[in-house]
Amino acid sequence: MTGVVDAEEVTKRYGEVLGLNGFTASFGPGITGLVGPNGAGKSTLFRLLAGQLHADAGTLTLLGYPAWGQGGFRRRVGYCPEHNALFDWMTGEDFVTTLLRVDGFPRSEARERAARAIATVGLTEVRHRRLRTYSKGMRQRIKLAQCIAHDPELILLDEPLNGVDPLGRAALTSLMRELHAAGRHLIVSSHVLYEVERLTEQIVMVSNGRAIAQGDLHRIRELIDARPHVIDLESPDPRGLARLLGAWDHVVSIEFPAPGRLRVRSRSPEEFYRSLPELVTRERLDVQAVHSADDNLDAVFRYLSEGLR
Amino acid sequence: MIGELTRCGAVVRWSFLGTIRGLRVVGLAAFAFVPSLIVLSLVSVHSAAGTLANAAEGLFAELTLPIVVMVVVLVIAVAQFRNEIDAETLVYLSDRSITRPTIVLGKYLGAVAASLVLVVPAALVPLGVAELAGGTPYAAEVPLVLLGAAILAVLVYVAFFLFLGLASRSALIIGLIFGFLWEELLPMLPGDFPRVTFIFYLRSFISGVVPGGPLSGYPAAVPVPLSVATLVGIAVAFVVISAGVFRYLETAPGRESA
Repeated sequence: MTGVVDAEEVTKRYGEVLGLNGFTASFGPGITGLVGPNGAGKSTLFRLLAGQLHADAGTLTLLGYPAWGQGGFRRRVGYCPEHNALFDWMTGEDFVTTLLRVDGFPRSEARERAARAIATVGLTEVRHRRLRTYSKGMRQRIKLAQCIAHDPELILLDEPLNGVDPLGRAALTSLMRELHAAGRHLIVSSHVLYEVERLTEQIVMVSNGRAIAQGDLHRIRELIDARPHVIDLESPDPRGLARLLGAWDHVVSIEFPAPGRLRVRSRSPEEFYRSLPELVTRERLDVQAVHSADDNLDAVFRYLSEGLR
Repeated sequence: MIGELTRCGAVVRWSFLGTIRGLRVVGLAAFAFVPSLIVLSLVSVHSAAGTLANAAEGLFAELTLPIVVMVVVLVIAVAQFRNEIDAETLVYLSDRSITRPTIVLGKYLGAVAASLVLVVPAALVPLGVAELAGGTPYAAEVPLVLLGAAILAVLVYVAFFLFLGLASRSALIIGLIFGFLWEELLPMLPGDFPRVTFIFYLRSFISGVVPGGPLSGYPAAVPVPLSVATLVGIAVAFVVISAGVFRYLETAPGRESA
């Protein structure tokens, strides 16, 4: 295998629990989606690639270097972790600048690069604010800024769209496309197949710590399209939002599971995700977060896992 | 080389600024103020000049050095790695092109600087208060030897507790046991037992320099240069060991979000 990232029979155990179980896949150039339900092993793979964890068995390389290692090649890799933990006492600008200094950039260059990366993710106006005051979407974006500020060749994004509002999703998706157009290789994980499909056709599907499929996934998309897809939205006016969403043909049901929350079932998630930002902009709606529940996706993964065994 | 210095400097700054803030440091500062508070109490009851001066020196030997410095340094040093591993923030350092030994050195120096900010006033303010309140003036070497002892204590304890923070999830408890049992009880035992404690060399250093008063009450069993060399050597050894441990340490927490 000679991909940007190559994994061969990679196994990672957490005590008795298997995080990855003989994971074998090759991630080529361009954008590759790593798709699987929560707990499938996506974050374990990213942590192995980031050098946070050491594989118990198998070989894992990125850009030809062993993943468990440090040194100059790490400057060619950017990693945006899934979790939102940050150094809350720092300002956004200080956070990105300090990490560039940790990467060895001189002070003036670090400042310039940080300013550029922060502008790229649209946080220039809040760059002097403490990170503790950042919303979830802003935190995602500042994490992305630190990930791209040193101009890496390979960018690892672990669930970058999780919890981001619709407009933020559109902006981040567009940024990922721009990074790809600029010649960067991206590996983007998600438990929402549709998010990744909008970015790339190259997909690695992971379930129970194994790569269960790789490449073209039209057949799988058809399977998923046949089932209503569950999407949770957060808004201060869920009923107003429900009235507008209910007018869409592909929306089959709407529930209110908790105050400020809305659960929508759609037969065409692709259309839903495409139309939502337009609706939000046009009607000036306040939608704070969009989560895709993955229970129906789980069913497809189970189907695939059993079929491929 | 310059790049590595830049990297190390960034970690030192990060570590120092991250430590010197928040409620934890307020609590530690309050704790470090206890010796000064005791001297202020003595001043308020109009203690004699000699009593004030002796009290300030005695407090350093019996309270500041073995308890205040130890606890302050323990909390600061253990937090450097353990808290960041648990909070998953260490990844921002460990996935960079900086080497792991450089991270350890940067964290060590940052923790030393942060500890000194709290420990140096804890060592010197009681002397100043006693003298300003009319206590017998100190010989010139007394504040210097206290400063030296405080710095040596910080160097060696930070190195040891940094290692504990890397090696164990229960570093705080182990550190307290070490501080209050090992460092307090072993020096009381006969024979060579005291020599396996840090406090033995710290007290040897003090009593080797100060010829009289409460600080000279410990046996200067080891010459001053040997005490200093031993403490610095131990500090360097633990920083090197920590770098070795960190090189092979997984920096992600459990499986919950795998």
